[in-house]
Amino acid sequence: MPNRVAIIGVGCTPAQPTTPYLSFKELMFQEAERAYLDAGIEASEVESFVTCAEDLNEGLSIFDEYTPDQLGAVQKPMHTLTQDGLHGIADAVMQIQSGLVELVVVEAHSKASNILTPEWILDYAVDPVWNRPLGFNPHAIAGLEMNVFLHETGITPDQCAHVTAKNRTNALRNPLAAYPARTAPGDVADSPYAFYPLRETEMARTADGCVVVVLASDDRARAGKSQPVWVRGVGFANDSSTLESRDWIRAEYCRVAAQMAYRQAGIHNPGRDIHLFEVDDTYAYKELQHLVALGLYSRPGDAGRAVASGVTKPNGETPVNVSGGALGMGLTLEATGLYRVAELVAQLRKQAGARQLPHAKVALAQSWRGVPTTSGAVVVLSSE
Amino acid sequence: MKTPKNTETRTWPGAIPLESLYTAGLGGQVFFKALKERGEIVGTRCASCKQVYVPARVFCERCFAELSEQVTVRPQGTLVSFTFSNFNRDAQPLARPQALALVRLDEASTVLLHYLLKVTDPTQVSIGAQVKMVIKPKAKRTGSILDIEGFVLA
Repeated sequence: MPNRVAIIGVGCTPAQPTTPYLSFKELMFQEAERAYLDAGIEASEVESFVTCAEDLNEGLSIFDEYTPDQLGAVQKPMHTLTQDGLHGIADAVMQIQSGLVELVVVEAHSKASNILTPEWILDYAVDPVWNRPLGFNPHAIAGLEMNVFLHETGITPDQCAHVTAKNRTNALRNPLAAYPARTAPGDVADSPYAFYPLRETEMARTADGCVVVVLASDDRARAGKSQPVWVRGVGFANDSSTLESRDWIRAEYCRVAAQMAYRQAGIHNPGRDIHLFEVDDTYAYKELQHLVALGLYSRPGDAGRAVASGVTKPNGETPVNVSGGALGMGLTLEATGLYRVAELVAQLRKQAGARQLPHAKVALAQSWRGVPTTSGAVVVLSSE
Repeated sequence: MKTPKNTETRTWPGAIPLESLYTAGLGGQVFFKALKERGEIVGTRCASCKQVYVPARVFCERCFAELSEQVTVRPQGTLVSFTFSNFNRDAQPLARPQALALVRLDEASTVLLHYLLKVTDPTQVSIGAQVKMVIKPKAKRTGSILDIEGFVLA
């Protein structure tokens, strides 16, 4: 990738089921302070800000107007993306690579515990003419997708249960996780269906939290005091938004985003060249679908066999969601992708404590915007 | 500032009476008129990539062509996927799960999402099954996707 860009600072709150004492502005302020300290910079040095948020999730119209004050972004260039935080990383990288600025901050947060009617927000995202009149819970879209994905790939419900078991168990080693639990695949198989064949335990529960990331140009990163983690590639893409004509089996948005990032990073064999993956697991089967789209398996069914045989556990060949993923850490709305990045930065800096992987040098984060969308992003990071 | 000693936290409730209109569009008009007046399912075919879009639409998302060739397709097809939803739109548990189907009509390239009727349990259904569309009687049709009652196993 020309004009190298680095992550030089991260601040993130532990993800929590609820954050009753802090307003979203206070959460942002706290993590901005932490990120700027980590980066060894003052807020006044930051040249541009990107926040990622959705109005209806915030309960505020034109929410971008509410984000500058608590980041130090007043009277500075800033804008908001209605996307996951990984899109914000891509945005910041482009601003720096273009030579426009040298120091950019990306922020995303979740006050999911304040959203009293989350299903109605999702319902309002469903096509109003063709689909919404049916009056269904939008998570049913994931039930439909899981059913045909398993049918076409031969991946089994039991293999999907291994995803939940692995990620929630991984979260036990992560002090930032909201939903750690020692979980066996059998515990998942015994839990009730929510949207057949999707079980309640296979759906990530929402959590509150905030992540602030500081990105810098090559010169700026090398001149600073913090330990930089290099951005090797970024990619983002959508499939069709239309339920009638999208790809229901393959996560094409993820495949295209990965190809874009791999081109920049010079990655030809992701299974060999990348040592650690943090991917979207909003629903357990999604982790497997995304790993297939990332090009890890020549046959899709191998994704199911890999999780069941422990290949994607922290001590396996291809560790996936060592942090606990969204199933273990909690689904933090637009901040979900940035929690994946925070884990990779901790791992690549060798600061991941009890869950530190010994040999990880190149790592990948991937996000999906949730039902009913087909929007995804990929970021490849390295310690060198 | 310190965290307050008492455990009570203040929150304010908020709600807005949000209402909108949605334009069905040229493609939607064609589809709903045919459905309401004739009980027919109309799509459009792309001359360049041969995709048949149901419901009818005026542009091809694959080759970005304008679509003008209308086709009437038979109300029968194959079950591409199904789910049984145990929760309603308000996240409340349902006493009887709602069955939804994703169906590829025989002459269409796209799928249609609708109710799967007369089934109560996943064991009664399998992907790949043949299904028939049930359309409401003319007197009850209003020009809506709900003029279709759903699909039944053939």
